[in-house]
Amino acid sequence: MQTVYFLVQQMMYFSIPLLIVALGAMFSERSGVINVGLEGTMIIGAFSSILFINMFQDKLPGQPILLIAIIIAALSGILISLLHAFASINMKADQIISGTAINMFAPAFAIYVARMIRTVQQIPFINQFRIKKVPVFGDIPYIGDMFFKNAYITTYIGFAILLVSWVVLYKTKFGLQLRSCGEHPQAADSVGINVYKMRYIGVAISGALGGIGGLVFVIPTSTNFNATVAGYGFLALAVLIFGQWKPFRIMFAAFFFGLMKTIASAYSGIPFLAAVEIPSEIYKMIPYIATLIVLAFTSRNSQAPKAEGIPYDKGSR
Amino acid sequence: MDYIIEMCNITKKFPGIIANDDVTLQVKKGEIHAILGENGAGKSTLMSILFGMYQPDDGVIKINGGKVNINDPNDANRLGIGMVHQHFKLVQNFTVLENIILGVEPTTRGFLKRDVARKRVLELSEKYGLKVDPDALVEDITVGMQQRVEILKMLYRNNEILIFDEPTAVLTPQEIEELMKIMRGLVKEGKSILFITHKLNEIKAVADRCTVLRKGKCIGTVNVADTTKEELSEMMVGRKVDLVVEKKEIEPGDVIFDVQNLTVKNKISGKNAVNNVSFNVRKNEIVCVAGVDGNGQSELVYALTGLAPADSGKIVLNGNDITNAAIRQRNESGIGHIPEDRQRYGLILDYNLGYNLVLQNYFTKRFTSRGFLKYDDIYDYADELINKFDIRTGQGAKTMVRSMSGGNQQKAIIAREIDRDPDLLIAVQPTRGLDVGAIEYIHKRLVAERDEGKGILLVSLELDEVMNLSDRILVMYEGDIVAELDPKSTTVQELGLYMAGSKRSSVA
Amino acid sequence: MKTLKRILNSEGVESFASSVMAILIGLLVGLAVLLISNPQQAFEGFKAILLGGFTDMKNLGQVLYFATPLILTGLSVGFSNKVGQFNIGAPGQFILGAYAAVYVGVKWTFLPGATHWMVALIMAMLAGALWGLIPGILRALCNVNIVISCIMMNYVGMYLVNVLVSHTIFDSLKNQSLPVKATAVLPKMGLDNIFRAGSSPSSVNAGIFIAALAGIIIYILIEKTKFGFELKACGLNPDAAKYAGINSNRTIVISMMIAGALSGLGGALLYLAGSGKSIEVVDVLAAEGFNGIPVALLGQNNAIGIVFAGIFVAYLTVGGFNMQLFNFVPQITDIIISVIIYFGAFFLLFKEFIRSHGSMYYAKSNEEVKAEKESSGGD
Repeated sequence: MQTVYFLVQQMMYFSIPLLIVALGAMFSERSGVINVGLEGTMIIGAFSSILFINMFQDKLPGQPILLIAIIIAALSGILISLLHAFASINMKADQIISGTAINMFAPAFAIYVARMIRTVQQIPFINQFRIKKVPVFGDIPYIGDMFFKNAYITTYIGFAILLVSWVVLYKTKFGLQLRSCGEHPQAADSVGINVYKMRYIGVAISGALGGIGGLVFVIPTSTNFNATVAGYGFLALAVLIFGQWKPFRIMFAAFFFGLMKTIASAYSGIPFLAAVEIPSEIYKMIPYIATLIVLAFTSRNSQAPKAEGIPYDKGSR
Repeated sequence: MDYIIEMCNITKKFPGIIANDDVTLQVKKGEIHAILGENGAGKSTLMSILFGMYQPDDGVIKINGGKVNINDPNDANRLGIGMVHQHFKLVQNFTVLENIILGVEPTTRGFLKRDVARKRVLELSEKYGLKVDPDALVEDITVGMQQRVEILKMLYRNNEILIFDEPTAVLTPQEIEELMKIMRGLVKEGKSILFITHKLNEIKAVADRCTVLRKGKCIGTVNVADTTKEELSEMMVGRKVDLVVEKKEIEPGDVIFDVQNLTVKNKISGKNAVNNVSFNVRKNEIVCVAGVDGNGQSELVYALTGLAPADSGKIVLNGNDITNAAIRQRNESGIGHIPEDRQRYGLILDYNLGYNLVLQNYFTKRFTSRGFLKYDDIYDYADELINKFDIRTGQGAKTMVRSMSGGNQQKAIIAREIDRDPDLLIAVQPTRGLDVGAIEYIHKRLVAERDEGKGILLVSLELDEVMNLSDRILVMYEGDIVAELDPKSTTVQELGLYMAGSKRSSVA
Repeated sequence: MKTLKRILNSEGVESFASSVMAILIGLLVGLAVLLISNPQQAFEGFKAILLGGFTDMKNLGQVLYFATPLILTGLSVGFSNKVGQFNIGAPGQFILGAYAAVYVGVKWTFLPGATHWMVALIMAMLAGALWGLIPGILRALCNVNIVISCIMMNYVGMYLVNVLVSHTIFDSLKNQSLPVKATAVLPKMGLDNIFRAGSSPSSVNAGIFIAALAGIIIYILIEKTKFGFELKACGLNPDAAKYAGINSNRTIVISMMIAGALSGLGGALLYLAGSGKSIEVVDVLAAEGFNGIPVALLGQNNAIGIVFAGIFVAYLTVGGFNMQLFNFVPQITDIIISVIIYFGAFFLLFKEFIRSHGSMYYAKSNEEVKAEKESSGGD
């Protein structure tokens, strides 16, 4: 049973960032803009927030510094994503290319600034954020052990983002209008909705959540930031497609991949797997191969937002 | 004179074209005012300006005597102007209710109040006799209901000035009657209606006055009651037009195309889009499949040409079973296809005219040798076709097809398909969106092919075209062929009843 | 004069001007970064980037040496762009090709002389083709988004090659692959005598000729053959291609195989160059694969353009090395390149946008003439 608790706790470290970033991608794509630049956005978000923690960790206490870092991650994510928004929406550029440019720019930028400010490219930080046990909730049998021990506040923030996303998307005026821009921007335009503004907001949300996701990814899994998020930004896109652009399905998809990733890195802690001598690289491949297999089965009836990836042009009818 | 709308001296230019050239339009309150013109005359542009989707380069708009600036549909809406577009602007996977309230949603602190909205929609629906199901998804409802949703969008916003852009293109004759009734009812409630069309019958049936546009200029405004259809037609086109095609009597020959028990399933709904359909086409014959858009005609053509697979049944061309043949094989066996959507299926817009003209046979020995294309032969052939079929271009065979006009693009497709000398020519809405000159040309060509011994399967939504061109009419309704009619002994009214499914004959 | 005007307005010049603009902006941003980092040496550093490739024959040779893999990955991305698919899987295809080539080079010593490296190249192309085939098939059969599957294959490829190297051709002291036999190294063809600085020759070799040849072959394939006609049709309008009886799934799968083979060949040419480079066992995606993207973009997906674009990006890279002599961080080159891609995305495609929506421009020439004739005759 201990193994199960351990697995679930580890799984959260991997799933929550995927969930957050995929939800961000959902907002962008639902408004009609494909954002493959999430890998780079995560890097920028992680970089700026971890640099902040690195600089102020001896001056401010644990959780509050983390919360401020989250805000910084969100803001920096928004900034970099605005570049993508400008290229895709105003200049009607190819959205895949502009996203790729961001993915190439971000690690170079992060390393450059790190070397300028700290002379080495890694940025270390002290992880003072792990919550050994949440009062009250941590005592619940089974569930307490799985979700409320060895957790981070970011886990709960992730779930909060999920709920808020669902409500905003389906229960509010903003959500309805946003979705119309991704399905049929001409219809939205004809009823007076500003498609450009809506798409900017969609991309900005993906930037904010992408940035936060970067921070949330690095904190539980290492003690320094090395200008990479190991392809998580791309995995988040796969989660989005697997989750068919719907919040709760995205959550299941994120848990699935988190579990794969957990098994891949924690296999030495699982007795019978450690006994079979499979090279670690094979395990590292598992999440990606699993993604391919899952996509092979689920992509047939994929229902992407109808107008995504197509720049909106008022003049066309 | 009290005009509710005045558009004075409106000019609007796009690169290379003057869409509206000093046009003046005056609409009285409470009238049904038609705007008549061919495709490309500038009618939609003028109304889009009124609705705020474009800004005029010159000219002034007055509502109730006061000058206004309409910068976007919100402004138009505030002035009480609403528009039902030719291509519906409805989000397919939203419900009817969501589409109606989109943009003017009732909310409490940002959260949608669906019940409040639903109540109002049902009230309006009652009052004006516009039956809709608020919770149905738009992708599941009929075209007729979709149009009612578009009308409810306007009424929900308390629009007083209602613009209809080519509203009858997708309706049966009976539904058109309904719509006319609805329009008269709206006018009785004090609304004013602007109604864009190129159909003279409808103008005569319901409009009070009519403004005619031709090539961007305003030709004049007339009282409909005092003007004949011929006079309206002449104003629209600029010359006398033959409204009927000359067609001589020919005895049809042997059967060249035989369709037996063809069924095509709709993958998403599970129903049969084409339901056990059987018919044939003979030499020297034009068979027309008539029906309201969306009753299986497109799916039928996809199955016949190979663009989509049939689920059961048999297709036989000149004695050969081509039911499961690949598209290229069907083309080589003698089928020509003028597709419904010329820019999507019929042409590669970013290729030049020469490449497009050999699109169906670039791989033959004449144009390919050991894997390499023979450009000289391709361009020679293209020049031949350009001359034979009078295709107007800027740079001959090297012209980029994207830059050609709609009429010439269609001529290119027709040239290509006819010159391949098919036994069966399938033509789907071949004259859609074209001006009268191009339409005349295409009709003449189709009749000429028929006279030479070809069989033609025509699919058309234009009732005039159906009645004029065909030797035999097959009416499709909800996937079935519900009637086989002789145009010489049928009226448009009867045709309409079959198209609406109100009547069925006991023919196969 | 009129012909000059016509040339200036022609498409080729327009594209070239767009590329140049994107490059200029990228360089300016680079200069700005240099100024921020170290104002005193900024201009020296910038000069190094701009002129580094020309400082001596050896550096010039290095430009060609670096250009070789870039040209091939650029061709790979550009070729698949022509068929409407974005091949972001070049890094995976590249490293698979590299492994196949190095394996042959280390293990298949029974192959005599020149055939050794030739067989290595062929095996590399096959490996790369396989890695391009998989995303192609997944798309054709299961409708899986090619961008996502290519990305997944990049990571699978990286881990796979790491495992394979460490289990089959491992140099455990240096954590990289073993050196290949001399017969597997690409011939120098006298280039090491031309491109040298004193006693140290550049690493340039026959690979650059192979790359250029690949460019020419791809150009002919796309522009002159029936297959190229079908390929472009699928990229420009998949519906019309289907109508014309072209099997787009088959075309896309074959194209992805060719694209994969090109990237694989690039990997082989890099690691068989005799420059002492071996496959390191690290969890890092092959940058040469990603750098194919700006090369394809600047080359406008045109094979000949890509050859020149590859040389240009290599030129910047060599300049970047020279810039490091002034204590600047090497990532500045990546920053410059990513800025070029970013601006390239909309300059180069803005032109496309005008062209597709400016059809009215051309319609004027015959329609307006007709309308003028009719209106003056009619009323």
